[in-house]
Amino acid sequence: MKREIRTPISEEDIKSLHVGDTIYISGKIFCGRDAVLPKICMLIHDDNLGYIDLQDSVIFHTAVSLAGVGPTSSNKVEIEESIPVLSEAGVRLHLGKGAIGSDTISKLYEYNAVYAVIPPVTALLKNNTISQCLVAFPELGMEAFYELEVRDYPCIIAAAHNKSIY
Amino acid sequence: MDDRIIKIVSNGLVTSGSSFLPDKKAAYERAISKETNPQAKWVLEKILENAIVAEKNQSPLCDDTGVPHLMLDIGPNCPISGDLLESIKEGISQGLRKLPGRPMSIKGDDAQRLDQSLGMEVDPGALEAAPILIRTIKENKIKLHIIMFGGGSAIRAKTYRVFHKHNVDNVIDEIISWATEGTKLLGCTPCTIAVGIGRSHYEATSMMFQALVDGTYDMQSNLEKRITDKMNASGVGSLGLGGNTTVLATFMKVGPQRASGVRIVSMRPCCCFEPRIATIEL
Repeated sequence: MKREIRTPISEEDIKSLHVGDTIYISGKIFCGRDAVLPKICMLIHDDNLGYIDLQDSVIFHTAVSLAGVGPTSSNKVEIEESIPVLSEAGVRLHLGKGAIGSDTISKLYEYNAVYAVIPPVTALLKNNTISQCLVAFPELGMEAFYELEVRDYPCIIAAAHNKSIY
Repeated sequence: MDDRIIKIVSNGLVTSGSSFLPDKKAAYERAISKETNPQAKWVLEKILENAIVAEKNQSPLCDDTGVPHLMLDIGPNCPISGDLLESIKEGISQGLRKLPGRPMSIKGDDAQRLDQSLGMEVDPGALEAAPILIRTIKENKIKLHIIMFGGGSAIRAKTYRVFHKHNVDNVIDEIISWATEGTKLLGCTPCTIAVGIGRSHYEATSMMFQALVDGTYDMQSNLEKRITDKMNASGVGSLGLGGNTTVLATFMKVGPQRASGVRIVSMRPCCCFEPRIATIEL
């Protein structure tokens, strides 16, 4: 069954998601990876997020470039280390690929967040990406913090409620 | 520089970054028909659908468009000049702009390129290809193989020594152990496992590269099949979701070996799109 999730994602949505569920995400989502996520975590630490509203949001672990978007490995050190901090700050769904560690999975549970994997189908995602907007750290180029408006991004819940597919 | 060479190399790069070869499409079709895990089957179908759309639009298969790696096959009476190599280089640049490639060339001196402190060039064409590998062939022609290597597979690849203890099983089991660990973390499965075995790290890695150029999904040697079957029994599956399609095939090339107890093995768990390859006659 096709389950549609629209951002912002409520706590109730998260409670109803389970490992193995296939979902289709629509709405606005943030994008960031190795270079920018530690900087966002630093802004959280300094209580200086400003106009960036992470509450009930999605972060897609991807670069944003003319080549399109597609998941990078969420278990890269700087990305995986950001997941607990971002979850505590309100991010509800982290979207990427690859196995993440058991400590990260338990932190997701603690902060009522989940991890989903998305097939690396850049050519297909292009048709489901409505718009993109640079949010912060433009000097990072394709690794800057972006916001996309998307329609029906297909993904599968890989870690939720302290359980995972790994 | 030679405009004809520039144009066909540029077009070849776009083909390598946007298309599956027929044997790869057939391998996916076989995998889809055999896969019993519904989610893993859905992922395989999406990857093949993505490849068909990318080929039709001549657009990137993956947003990590990769770093160009080149190999020249040179026939007996075919001269190679500096001008030809410069024309190939320019063709690669133009192809990266046309695909378009992801702008990934890092600016600065040695230290700045290591810590990425000066950021990146905005021009996709500024990305340099890796050093060219050259070998001879019997046909009287020059062939250029273009392979685009992505970062995820590079993170999980490994080149290291293996003590064979005079038993091939020890070498194969070590490769399977590395590949199993790599595919779990990679995420972009099903993989093609590329293996080169040589007398040095340089030779092993160049053997791994040649294995990707020469390999075909239609035929597996006994050793390749053994690795493939064992990997598919691991249960990692497509996108790490389980099922029986962790790898599509293994491409292995065993080079000359040293009189020694050690073999140098290079293993790359190539992601679901790799090898992104095109071969063109110059």
